[in-house]
Amino acid sequence: MADFFGIPVSELNVWLIWILPFAAAMIIPAVGKFSKLSTGRVAVAFALMSAISAATLFPMALEAHEIHHQVMWIDAIGLKAGVLADPLSIIMANVVGWISFLIMVYSTGYMKGDKDITRFWFWMMFFIGSMQLIILSDNLLQVFFGWEGVGLASYALISFWYRDKKKDHVGQEGRSALGVMEYFSPTHAGMKAFIMTKVGDVMMLSGMLLLFLFAGTFGFKELVSDTAWAVEMSAQGLLVPAFVLLFGGAMGKSAQFPLNEWLLEAMTGPTAVSALIHAATMVKAGVFLVARIGPIVFALAAAGILADQFFEIIAWVGAITALLLATQGMVNPEIKKVLAYSTGSQIGYMMLALGVAGLSHQYVDGYTAGFFHLISHAMFKASLFMAAGSLLHVVGSRFMTDMGGLKKQMKKTYAFMWAAGLGLMGAPFITTGFWSKDAIFAAVYEADSSWALPLFLIAVLTAVITAFYTTRMIGMVFFGKNSKHIEKMESEGNHIHEAPRSMWIPYGILAVLTIGIGLIGLSAEEELHHLFEEYLVHSFGIESSHYGGEESVLPGFLSGLNPVALGASLVAFATGFGLGYIFYIGRWVDPAKFVNSNIFFYSMHKLFLNRWYLNAFVYWGFVVAPLWMARGIWRYFERTAIDTGMNIGFEKAVGWSARVVQGTQTGVSQSYLYIFGAGLLFVVLILLL
Amino acid sequence: MEFVLLQAVFLPLLLSPVAYLIGRNYGPTYATWFTFGLLLYCSVILINAALGGTYEEHYPWTTMFGEFGFMLDGLATPFAIIIYVLCTVLALYSKPYMVHKFEELFKEHYHQNATTDGQTTAVVESVALQTYVNRQSGLYFAMFLVFAMGMLGTVLSTNLIEFYIFFEVMLIPSFFLVAFYGDGNRRRIALQFLFWTHVGAVVLLLGFLAIGLSVGSFDFVDINEAAIDPDILVVSAVAIILGLGVKLAAFVFHVWLPYAHGAAPTPISALLSPAMIGIGAYGLFRLIVEFMPQTYGDISIMLNIWGVVTMFYGGAMALMQDDFKRMLAYSSISQMGYLLFAIGSFSTYGLAGAEMMYVSHGLGKGLLFMTAGVIIVQVGTRSFSKLGGLASKMPITAVCAVIGALTIMGIPPTSGFMGEWMVFYGALETAIEEGNDLRSLMFALGLIATALTMSYILWMLKRVFFGKLPENLQNVKDGSWYMLAPMMVLAGFTIVVGIYPDIFLGHIMPYMQGVMGG
Repeated sequence: MADFFGIPVSELNVWLIWILPFAAAMIIPAVGKFSKLSTGRVAVAFALMSAISAATLFPMALEAHEIHHQVMWIDAIGLKAGVLADPLSIIMANVVGWISFLIMVYSTGYMKGDKDITRFWFWMMFFIGSMQLIILSDNLLQVFFGWEGVGLASYALISFWYRDKKKDHVGQEGRSALGVMEYFSPTHAGMKAFIMTKVGDVMMLSGMLLLFLFAGTFGFKELVSDTAWAVEMSAQGLLVPAFVLLFGGAMGKSAQFPLNEWLLEAMTGPTAVSALIHAATMVKAGVFLVARIGPIVFALAAAGILADQFFEIIAWVGAITALLLATQGMVNPEIKKVLAYSTGSQIGYMMLALGVAGLSHQYVDGYTAGFFHLISHAMFKASLFMAAGSLLHVVGSRFMTDMGGLKKQMKKTYAFMWAAGLGLMGAPFITTGFWSKDAIFAAVYEADSSWALPLFLIAVLTAVITAFYTTRMIGMVFFGKNSKHIEKMESEGNHIHEAPRSMWIPYGILAVLTIGIGLIGLSAEEELHHLFEEYLVHSFGIESSHYGGEESVLPGFLSGLNPVALGASLVAFATGFGLGYIFYIGRWVDPAKFVNSNIFFYSMHKLFLNRWYLNAFVYWGFVVAPLWMARGIWRYFERTAIDTGMNIGFEKAVGWSARVVQGTQTGVSQSYLYIFGAGLLFVVLILLL
Repeated sequence: MEFVLLQAVFLPLLLSPVAYLIGRNYGPTYATWFTFGLLLYCSVILINAALGGTYEEHYPWTTMFGEFGFMLDGLATPFAIIIYVLCTVLALYSKPYMVHKFEELFKEHYHQNATTDGQTTAVVESVALQTYVNRQSGLYFAMFLVFAMGMLGTVLSTNLIEFYIFFEVMLIPSFFLVAFYGDGNRRRIALQFLFWTHVGAVVLLLGFLAIGLSVGSFDFVDINEAAIDPDILVVSAVAIILGLGVKLAAFVFHVWLPYAHGAAPTPISALLSPAMIGIGAYGLFRLIVEFMPQTYGDISIMLNIWGVVTMFYGGAMALMQDDFKRMLAYSSISQMGYLLFAIGSFSTYGLAGAEMMYVSHGLGKGLLFMTAGVIIVQVGTRSFSKLGGLASKMPITAVCAVIGALTIMGIPPTSGFMGEWMVFYGALETAIEEGNDLRSLMFALGLIATALTMSYILWMLKRVFFGKLPENLQNVKDGSWYMLAPMMVLAGFTIVVGIYPDIFLGHIMPYMQGVMGG
C-alpha cells in the first residue's frame, strides 16, 4: 500500500478527515483578504474532501475492521495523540461529513452577501473539524480538545451577528417568566451556551481525570484491553461517579436535562449554524461520547463489575429530557425554537436507547436503536432546519404566526418539509424516523429493568407529542390563509417566492433520503445491527445471545419486531397527527379558544410556554444570586475591610503614631531633662531593687 | 558561549543609560528599537542556553554571602523565557502607548504652566512637546530595561541574598514607572505599591536570614543539602510564604494590586501582572517546595485552601468592575489563586501544571492587558459602560483579545488548558491518594471557579467587543502595528504551546519529578 511519510494512505485518510476542515479554517482568513466570494468555495471544497476521506473508509467499516494510529504528542508525560477509526467512528464521521457538506452548500446561498462571511466560514470549518476530532480521537484528552473546540465554535457562531440587532434576537420582546426576560440577544445567547456547556465540560474533565488517575491512560483501546483499573475504582466506589461525570459532559453538549436551557437561545445564530449544531456537530457529540464509553462500561460486566446505575441515569435523563422539551415544543410560536425543542427531545430518545441498552442482556439492541435514530434524526432535522431557514429568509420573521398559507407559494419547501416532518413524526413504514423510533421502543420495552415500563410510557407519550407539534408546525406555516405580515409584504411588492436552488437542493436531498432510506429502513437497521454486533464482540467482547426458538408474532416482513412497540408507535403517530390535524390543518377547532376553555389547559399552556420555569430558575440561582453575593462582598468587604481598613487604616495608624512621637519632641530642653531624670531614677530604682 | 546568563541579566542594566541617551537625543522610535534589539538578543541567548538542558554560571562574590550564580534549570527556564519574551514584545508595544501617554502628561503639565507664563506659540509648544517626549521616552526605556533585568535576575539567582537583591531591584524601576507615567492618583498609588511589596520583601528577608544564618551559607546548593533545625524551618517558612504571598497578591494581601495594576502604564501592567507577581510563585517553588519538602508537605493543604479562596474572591471582584484594567487586575488575583491552589496540590502534575499556568497566564493576561492598552490609545476610555461593539472597528485586536481570553479560561487549543488539566489532575491525585475529603472539596470548588473565570472573561468580551457600537465610537480604528504585531506574536505563541506543550513541559516535568521524588 502506498504511504506518505511512513503513514499508509488509509491511515492518513483518517487524519485528514479532521485535519482538512482545520486547514481550511486556517487558510480562509487569508483567502478572504483577496476575495470574499472564494472563501465559500474553499470551505465547500474542503468540506467535500473531508467527507470523501470519510467515505473511503466506509468499506472498511462494513467489514468491521479498524485503524488505530498513534504519534507521540506530549513526550514529557508520555501521552500520545492518535486516531481510531472503527465502525462506530467511521459511520459517524460519514454522517457528520456529508451532512455538513450539504449544510455548507446551503450556506453559500443562505449567507450570500453577509459582510462578515469570512468569519462565518472560518468558524463553520472549525466547527466541523472539532467534531471530526471528537469522533476520530483515540483518547479522551484529544476528544476534549475537539469538545471545547465545538463549544468555542458554537459560542462564536451563535453570537455570529454580534451587533445585537433586534431582528437577530430570539424570544418575544417584553415576555418574562418569574421576572426573567425571555428575550435574548445573540451575544447573550452565545455566552449562555458557552458557560452552560462548560459546566458539563467541567464534569467531564473531572471524570476524565479520575479515569486517568486509576488507569494511567486516556486511550479508549487501553481502557478496554486492561481492566485492572476498573476493579480498583469500583472497590473505591468511584467507577460509577467517574462515568456519570463523563456523561455530565454529554449532558451539557447534548442539552440534556438539567443543562438543556442553552439550546433554545442558540437559535440566534444563522439558520445554517442551527442546522449544523442540531444535525451534525454539537449536540450529537454527547450521544457519540455515550456510544463511545457505553460499551467500555458494559464490557466490565465480564469482569464482574456492574454499573447499572450509570445506565439508569442515562436512560432517565434521556427520558425526562425527551418529555420535557417535547411539551414545550407544542406551544412555542417560533419555528426555529420548535425545532430546537424537538432536537433536545429526540436526543433524549437516543440517550434513552443507549441507557436501556446497558440494562438489558442484548446490549446491541439499544445501542443500534440509539445510533440508528441519531442517523435518521441527522437527516430529517438538518432538512427541517434548512427548510425553516428558507422560510425565515423568504418571510423575514421567525414567528410561525407571521407565516401561514405558504403551500402555494413555496411548493418545493412544502413538499420537503412534509417528507422530513413525517420522519420526525415517525410516519409508519416509509420513514427512517419510524424504524428508529420503533427500535427504541422495542429496546426500552425489552430492557431487564424495573424501570422499563415507566420509561416506555414516557417514550410513547413523547412520540404522541412529537407527532402533534410537527403537524402543528407544518399546519401553521403552510395551511390556512396568509398572515397579515405576508399580506403586508406582498402589498409592498416583496413577493413570496421559492428559495434559490443552492438552498433547496440540500434539504431536498435529505428529505428524499429520509423517505428513501425509510422504505428500506428495516433492512438498513438490520444491517447496522449486524455490524454493531460484530463490532461489539470484536472490540469489547460483548456477546449477544441470538433469539433461538422464540416465535414471531407478526407476519411477513415485520417478523422479528416487537408487537407491543410496533403497536405503540402506530398509535402514537395516529393520535399525535390526528390531534394536530384537527387544530392546525383542518382547523376545525381554534387552539387559542381551546386552551382558554378551562383552567387546566390554560395553566399547562403557561407552564410549557414558560419552559417549566427552569430557565427562570437557572437565572435566579446562577446569575442573579451570585452577582448579588459578589456585589455584597464588593461593597461590604473589599471596599470597607480591605480597602479602607488595610490601606487607609495603616496610613492613619502610621500618621497617628508619628504624631505621638512628634508630641514628645517639644524642643524644650527642660522637658527633655525631666524625662532624662525620670529615666535615670527608674534605672537606679531597678538596680536597687 | 560563556557569560551567557551574565550577559542576559546585566546587559540591560549596563546599557540602560545608552537607552536613555538615545531616547533623549534621537526620540522614542530609536529608543524603542534599541530596547527591543537588546532584549531580543538577550532572549535569544537565553533560549539558546536553555535548549541544552540545565545550565549554570557561577561567579565569585563576597565570602560572607557566597557565590553569585545564575542557574537555568527546569524550574527557572519557563519563567525566564516568559519574562524575557514578554519584555521583548512589550518594548515594541510601549512605543505608541507611551508616546500617547507622554503627550497626555505634557498637556497636563503645560496647562498648569500656561496659566502662569501666559501666551506660548504653537511652534514653541510643539518643540517643547518633542523635547518632552524624547526625554521621557529615554527615561522610560532605561527603567524598562532595569525592570526586565530585575525580574530575570530573581528567577536565575542561586543565592538567597542575590535573590533578595534582584527581588528589590525590580521594585525600584516599577515604582518610578508607576509614579511617573501612571494614571489617576499615581504617586500615592506607587507609594502604596512600594510600601506593600517592600514590606513583603522585608518579611521575606527575615526568613532568608533565619535560614542562611542557621545553615551558615546563603547558597541554594548548601541550603538544599543542609538539615535545617525544625523550629527555624517553621519560622522561616511562614516568613517566606507571607512575604511571597504579598507579591502573589493572595487573598488579604491583594490590597495593593488592583490599584497598582490599574494605574500603571499599560505595558508595565502587562509586565507587573503576568510576569512579576508570578515570581512569587517561583519563590514558593524554589524555596518552599524544593528546599523544605517536609514543611511543604505539612502546609500544602493550607496553600490549597488559600488558593481556592483567592480564586473565588478575585473572580467575584472581577465581576464587579467597570474599569477594564482593574477588572484584569482582579482577574490576576484570581489566577494567582490557581497557582497557589496548584502549588498546594502536593503532586508532580499539580506543580508542573502550576508552572504551565504561569506560562499561560503570562501570555493570556499579557494579551488582555495589551488589548486594554490598544483601547485606551484608540478609544480613550477604559470603562466598560462606554465601550461596546468594537469587534467591527478593531478586528485584529478583537481576535487577539479572544485568544487571550481563551488562554485565561483554559480552553484548548490555547496553553491555558494544558496548565489547567494538569493542575486539577494533581489536586485530584493527592485527594484520592490521601483519601482527604477536604482536598476533594477543594478540587470541586476549584473546578467551579473555572466557570466563574469564564463568566467574567466572556462578559468582558461582550461588553467591549460585542453588542451595539456607541455613536461616538463610529470612527475608531485598529491600533498601530507596533501594538498589534506583539499581540499577534503572543497569540500565536499561546496556541503553539497549547498544541505542543512539550516546549515547556519537557523542562518542567523532569524537574518536578526530581523534586517530588519520582
